[in-house]
Amino acid sequence: MKRSKSINLDFMRKVPRKGFMFNSLALGVAVALTGCSQSEQVRVVESVEDCQVSTDLTIEQCEAAYQKAVLEAERTGPKYNNARSCEAEFGYDQCHRTSSGFFTPFMTGYLVSSMIGNMGRQAYNPVYTYNRPYSSYHNKIMTADGSILGRAGRTSYKVNKSMVSKRKPTVSRTVSRGGFGSVASAKSSWGGGSKSSWGG
Amino acid sequence: MLRMPIKERANWQQQALEYGFKFHTFDGERYWDESAYYQFTLEQIEKDIEEPTEELHQMCLEVVDRVVKDDQLMKRFCIPQKQWDFVRTSWLNGDPSLYSRMDFAYSGKGPAKLYENNADTPTSLYETGFWQWMWLQDNVDSRVLHRQSDQFNSLQDKLVNRFKDLEYLTPDRHLHFACSKDTDEDRGTVQYLEDCAKAAGLDAHFVYTEDIGRDAAGNFTDSKDQIITWLFKLYPWEFMFEEEFSGLLGKNNVRYIEPPWKSILSNKALMPMLWKMFPNHPNLLASFFEDELSQASGFDTLVKKPIFSREGANISIIRNHQEEVASRGPYGEEGYIYQAMHALPKFGDNYTLIGSWLVDDESAGISIREDAQLVTQDTSRYLPHIIL
Repeated sequence: MKRSKSINLDFMRKVPRKGFMFNSLALGVAVALTGCSQSEQVRVVESVEDCQVSTDLTIEQCEAAYQKAVLEAERTGPKYNNARSCEAEFGYDQCHRTSSGFFTPFMTGYLVSSMIGNMGRQAYNPVYTYNRPYSSYHNKIMTADGSILGRAGRTSYKVNKSMVSKRKPTVSRTVSRGGFGSVASAKSSWGGGSKSSWGG
Repeated sequence: MLRMPIKERANWQQQALEYGFKFHTFDGERYWDESAYYQFTLEQIEKDIEEPTEELHQMCLEVVDRVVKDDQLMKRFCIPQKQWDFVRTSWLNGDPSLYSRMDFAYSGKGPAKLYENNADTPTSLYETGFWQWMWLQDNVDSRVLHRQSDQFNSLQDKLVNRFKDLEYLTPDRHLHFACSKDTDEDRGTVQYLEDCAKAAGLDAHFVYTEDIGRDAAGNFTDSKDQIITWLFKLYPWEFMFEEEFSGLLGKNNVRYIEPPWKSILSNKALMPMLWKMFPNHPNLLASFFEDELSQASGFDTLVKKPIFSREGANISIIRNHQEEVASRGPYGEEGYIYQAMHALPKFGDNYTLIGSWLVDDESAGISIREDAQLVTQDTSRYLPHIIL
């Protein structure tokens, strides 16, 4: 056979199949199955002490996880040019200035996953409490990349495994945009009848 | 190699909607055309397309190796001097490639002749890897086509596997995909590659080329201010080399798909260079740089192509020293190359071009384009094919 052996058509589909609701039983089973393998329970701890009391980790492991979460917050946390824009999202007095001059919210705590301690690649995720009034995310626990874990105050949350096992991209402050695209833009004025692809 | 008419699938436009294939029709003219298909024998595919494609790719890599080591050749290939280190380093480091498409004139008999190598930003990928695959599946399932019908098209399988390799070769980086705004075709192509990357288990992010930013340290950022460390760009290297952020290329910590050394292959200077290194190779057409035209006296018809051009733009045909413009466009300021005329085969009223795909160095399938004109352009119709 000279062609691809099989392609998962549902994976390629961009609009759900019509009448798909009738298949919801099958779908439910599929979700339950992936639910077992793809997600896991994590705890949000507020401090090293909280970590020691409410998880199986030793105080040394809790301390190390905290230190790494602080570094991870510095690297991937939300960054703002001024305190006001930060406080608009995370609440009054909930932000501080970092060593690099940005404003970033205080960590509400950090995630402790059962995977920490026995995984090759470990992640230490800082979490924040989102606070913009009337936002649907108000008082929800959020990770550095804006993913919502759930309502604040719970001790454990169900998350996708990739959230705790994969390294997140570093967030920086963009000083300018639009440094690519000018040649295409100049040539496109020529365009006329083309489909205007920049591939070939 | 035959051109066979066939009934269109009744529901294909509805399917296109459901699968997000948005550019099947352009300005009321069909681009995806399933009113006919091409039929090949297995021998035609394996002996005349698959094997030469892989052999030519190896020859192309020899050209890259020669060019990066020679300043004079880097000039001939119009690589800006300030990017030489960037291009060279990517080759010497062995930066891995994802895919390419070689364009051939092939009639079913005799050797396929290489027109050019789209090694940097090839498109018509989704139509090939997925859409014509599904066309075959539907027509075999409904018994319109013989159940033994096959297709030379392992593109999607190979792309997914290649993404797994690339993640292994590029550890601890998130892959960003980028293309220009306002083009459904490019966005669709990149969406398809994102799907393949996700199927391989990668984290895929998207940013429009125009929205790429930089931070104070010179890192590239996406529209969420996340630092880009690994970038697939469906945007030509020769454009990026000239633009405002070009000074940052190679200075910040980014890996690219396609890697910078591909700028030497997606470059018409490749054609005369191949001819110099592998003269009279059966799959090559005699080709010459502008200052070597004296060697072309034995050819009464030459095709003049810009060093950099896309989608068949700015092609002229020179017959007995008379130049006749065959297609117009915004390219040509870097100069031209000259290729011995070898017209596309004609099936009925259509000139037919074969695109032969590679994933890394493996031949992975073909796409077929048809046009009433001799020069295939981006509006030329796309037709499916079978092997029987």
